[in-house]
Amino acid sequence: MSDIAIQHELLRAAVDRLPADRLSSVRQAALSQFSACGFPTARHEDWRYTNLAPAIERSNAWLREAATVQEYRQVELPTPAIDAYWIPIANGIAGDIPPELGELDITVRRLSDAGADSTLDTSEAMSSFNAALLRDGLKLTVGRDVRVEKPIGFLITDDSDTQIRLSQVRIIIEVGQHSHIRLIENYPRAESSNGFTNAVMQLELAPQARADYLRLQDCHSQHIQIGRLVARLERDTALHYLSLDFGGGLVRSDVEVDIAGVGAEVSLHGLILAAGRAHIDSHTRVDHRVGPATSTEEFRSIVNDRARFVFNGKAVVHAGADGTDAHQANHNLLLSGQAEVDTKPELEIYADDVKCSHGATVGQLDELALFYLRSRGLDREQATRMLTGAFAASILSSLPIESVRDALEDLLLKRLEKLTAGDLS
Amino acid sequence: MSTKSNDIESLVNRRYEHGFVTDIASDSLPPGLDEDVVRAISARKNEPEFMLEWRLRAYRHWLTMREPNWAHVHYKPIDYQEISYFSAPISDADRPKSLDEVDPKLLETYDKLGIPLHERARLAGVAVDAVFDSVSVATTFKEKLKDAGVIFCPFSEAVTDHPELVKKYLSSVVPYRDNFFATLNSAVFSDGSFVYVPKGVRCPMELSTYFRINAANTGQFERTLIIADEGSYVSYLEGCTAPMRDENQLHAAVVELVALKNAEIKYSTVQNWYPGDENGKGGIFNFVTKRGDCRGDNSKISWTQVETGSAITWKYPSCVLRGNNSVGEFYSVAVANNMQQADTGTKMIHIGRNSKSTIVSKGISAGRAQNAYRGLVRMMPQAQGARNHTQCDSLLIGKECGAHTFPYMEVRNPSAKVEHEATTSKISANQLFYCRQRGLSEEDAVNMIVNGFCKEVFKELPMEFAVEAQNLLNVTLEGAVG
Amino acid sequence: MKEMLEIKDLKARIDGTEILTGLSLTVNAGEVHAIMGPNGSGKSTLAQVIAGHEDYEVTGGTVKFLGTDLLELAPEVRAREGIFLGFQYPVEIPGVNNAYLLKAAVNAKRLHQGQSEVDAFEFLKLAREKMKVLGMDPAFLNRGVNEGFSGGEKKRNEILQMAMLEPRLAILDETDSGLDIDAMKAVANGINALRDGDRAIVLVTHYQRLLDYIEPDFVHVLSNGTIIRSGDKSLALQLEERGYDWVREAANG
Repeated sequence: MSDIAIQHELLRAAVDRLPADRLSSVRQAALSQFSACGFPTARHEDWRYTNLAPAIERSNAWLREAATVQEYRQVELPTPAIDAYWIPIANGIAGDIPPELGELDITVRRLSDAGADSTLDTSEAMSSFNAALLRDGLKLTVGRDVRVEKPIGFLITDDSDTQIRLSQVRIIIEVGQHSHIRLIENYPRAESSNGFTNAVMQLELAPQARADYLRLQDCHSQHIQIGRLVARLERDTALHYLSLDFGGGLVRSDVEVDIAGVGAEVSLHGLILAAGRAHIDSHTRVDHRVGPATSTEEFRSIVNDRARFVFNGKAVVHAGADGTDAHQANHNLLLSGQAEVDTKPELEIYADDVKCSHGATVGQLDELALFYLRSRGLDREQATRMLTGAFAASILSSLPIESVRDALEDLLLKRLEKLTAGDLS
Repeated sequence: MSTKSNDIESLVNRRYEHGFVTDIASDSLPPGLDEDVVRAISARKNEPEFMLEWRLRAYRHWLTMREPNWAHVHYKPIDYQEISYFSAPISDADRPKSLDEVDPKLLETYDKLGIPLHERARLAGVAVDAVFDSVSVATTFKEKLKDAGVIFCPFSEAVTDHPELVKKYLSSVVPYRDNFFATLNSAVFSDGSFVYVPKGVRCPMELSTYFRINAANTGQFERTLIIADEGSYVSYLEGCTAPMRDENQLHAAVVELVALKNAEIKYSTVQNWYPGDENGKGGIFNFVTKRGDCRGDNSKISWTQVETGSAITWKYPSCVLRGNNSVGEFYSVAVANNMQQADTGTKMIHIGRNSKSTIVSKGISAGRAQNAYRGLVRMMPQAQGARNHTQCDSLLIGKECGAHTFPYMEVRNPSAKVEHEATTSKISANQLFYCRQRGLSEEDAVNMIVNGFCKEVFKELPMEFAVEAQNLLNVTLEGAVG
Repeated sequence: MKEMLEIKDLKARIDGTEILTGLSLTVNAGEVHAIMGPNGSGKSTLAQVIAGHEDYEVTGGTVKFLGTDLLELAPEVRAREGIFLGFQYPVEIPGVNNAYLLKAAVNAKRLHQGQSEVDAFEFLKLAREKMKVLGMDPAFLNRGVNEGFSGGEKKRNEILQMAMLEPRLAILDETDSGLDIDAMKAVANGINALRDGDRAIVLVTHYQRLLDYIEPDFVHVLSNGTIIRSGDKSLALQLEERGYDWVREAANG
């Protein structure tokens, strides 16, 4: 494995070509930061199992084309029937903002606007890459005591069907005290893709705020998607997160939750269907800085063909975070001889009055359960599909946004059928 | 041969330069490491050519390596030129003549640990002929082994008496290039055990380092090789509960186990290295490479260890499950107190079909210690039907220590099954109160609960070791609560 | 001495909340007292405070056990002096087997009282005898302390421990809670087998039904941290019929 590197001079040129606006200084600072270290390599513990070479190659190809002006160019794609306040984001640039949001005390501003003063997180290499090349981003400010049933959705697409596209997506969401909102981060499936989407979502929950978050990644098998959600939770907040990975070629998703206030409750759930030659990497980290607070995590994967799933769930309980309850689980089904699962749940504990546990399994469907179904008349294939479906669907019980259930179940069924059939497309 | 004497002479000349004027054979080497030192070590031991060549290959490779850097273990950089790589045996004149001359605190510890009286003298380093029964005990033991055909001798003896066996198996489990400390060990290893159990033989007694009568110091670079030929069985005990002090801080041992078809090796360790004072100063650095190769079908290797002490512990007794239906087991209790740091665990590499591994790791942290479990379970593509079950539990005693779990699971076979569970907790106030309400003092209650926590591991130890281990745990955690 | 337990105006709190507000009670050797009351009245607190649970802070009053100041003593010393608490929720101690804990407890008490320790054989003999009297399966001894026990088994285990430790004062905290009728009968039999002229038993209970099987000499009603009424076993029946409110109203009115 050779260490390919990003072509820094071309990168600098591309950053310089971006229009001068309020983000210019942020971009330059981020570029210096990124240039010092470059893309993470396998020598970094957190990237041990995920090789970013395809992402670097695609980035270099994009930079060489010099046609790197980023424009909003939306492509019509079939999306699941989900009723939400959709904000289209094409090639990293937001389109029209639904006007109803203003009436709900949810202010949406572009980061290039005055009044959208925010600190862009650049604590990771991919986040500084994102900030350096950021054409524009969004800031959502949710006022106090705002309760909105209908989710706010970000429909993230690019027009990379015909050319290489790199999109930097940056969305900052601040939820005011005692408010409850639902968010969807949606990557629908295109017919083909030469794209690389790099997204950073920053979520801040003021005391007693609640957020239900759904990430739905259904990209084309050639798409590269790297994403990071950084969340900070104050006192008595709740974050219920569900991530669904149904597609993609090279996917890396990081979720970092900072529990900064007592009484916070975090649940992180994920379902990964990896087939073909997909490489999907889910990394999560929950920092329990104070207690009591609880975090529960469960990620399930079904991996077929030559696909690979990497999981790393880390819970850090800092000294003094007494009363912490932290539990993680990761269950994986391997369906083929060339598929691979690498899992590493981690616990770092510096406080003693805590209850922490984690569990991980990699295995197959229960033979006894299979036999039971067959004894009731189902053939092996039907039985396998049923049990695999049950394995996957159980994660949907943690779906934080009830209104999207039907649409998701339909999509899950479709994707699961394709996966178990062993489609190598 | 002449090359050797030339080396010694030049070394001796160097020594004269430094002002040492003593008998060569019982001389320690001054601190420092270079090729001459490696040659001198080999010469002192009268090793055949192949052994010297091997050492030199390792030494030259070591020069190209960099010390590993682990996130959870912090220590002052080791100056490899400050270490003396060969210590002469302590002369009888320098030993205590009897237990009366031994530090009473040390004797008190022996008492608390329940160490039998006849062993205390040996452990305290009292001159051999004052320990009147040691020679006779060793003799009967040796005879029994001879009848069974088992070879059990110091490694240095095996190199000269059984070179064909050494050549065949040495470094076949831990190649000399394996890791920084193993490579260093391969260049400068002092001594250790060599065991060969012939086909079909069940070793008639447990082999213990106790019986390796060896006047030399406890090796800082121990090298052990145990071979169980087809259908044989051997149980080996290493270490003892007495606190082992050593002038040498760095201990980098290498242990290789080879189990051929249908053979079984049980390797038990109870180690209580000196952990340093309450601030961690002067403690032993224990960087050990231990690996077992289940080479033949149906072979089995079990590692059982109770480790306390050491300022820094870095060890991962591992099994390569090559043979079909082979079994690897790892049972461990690791205690870290005061300022100790431990980063330990195991690696189970499944290659053979239906191979099975069991890992039970119990970590106890107290004081300001940091105790990390780091494990790897890897199911290779050909490991059809392989199984692993891992249980890692951590017990925290006090608010300033840390317990960490880093299990890596890499699975490349769809019919393999891996199950991992880890929990972290503290001794609950309810458990403590319950025991106290039944009349037990807080200290006894803690000991009881901790022993219960470790029970699954203790029951894998040979009986006398198990009792010693329990005592050791109690003594180690003295004063940890409250 | 006839007065086994003498509590005078006991006040105690936990986490800043006062639970016992001035409780007085005298228990003599040979007597069985039942302490009843609604949830939150302080029944369990009383039991825990007598046993010496350190989460509770005594803010007033005195407790004397056989004439000596009990509040001065650490929990294990109170135990060795002869106080036994049967827990409402016996905790699990994985990996520690019953026999092991009991033997240690028996010997701790014996040493404290100037007797010699029993060895493993003597202990097992003693244990088997007791278990026979209680009608308990000897296999209990080898199981981990409350590990994987059902509710009924946990309570029976408490009784076994009580039998082995032969306390002078046994306080049984809601020993019948969560038990079906058969398990409760078995537990009651065990307790009755231990009644004698030298021993005192305090039953903390919410429901009257246990008292059908263990006839108390005295019944006390606890409310808001103090005893508002005392009587004999007929008081328990009245409570069953009329509920706790009746007693509270009567006390207030």
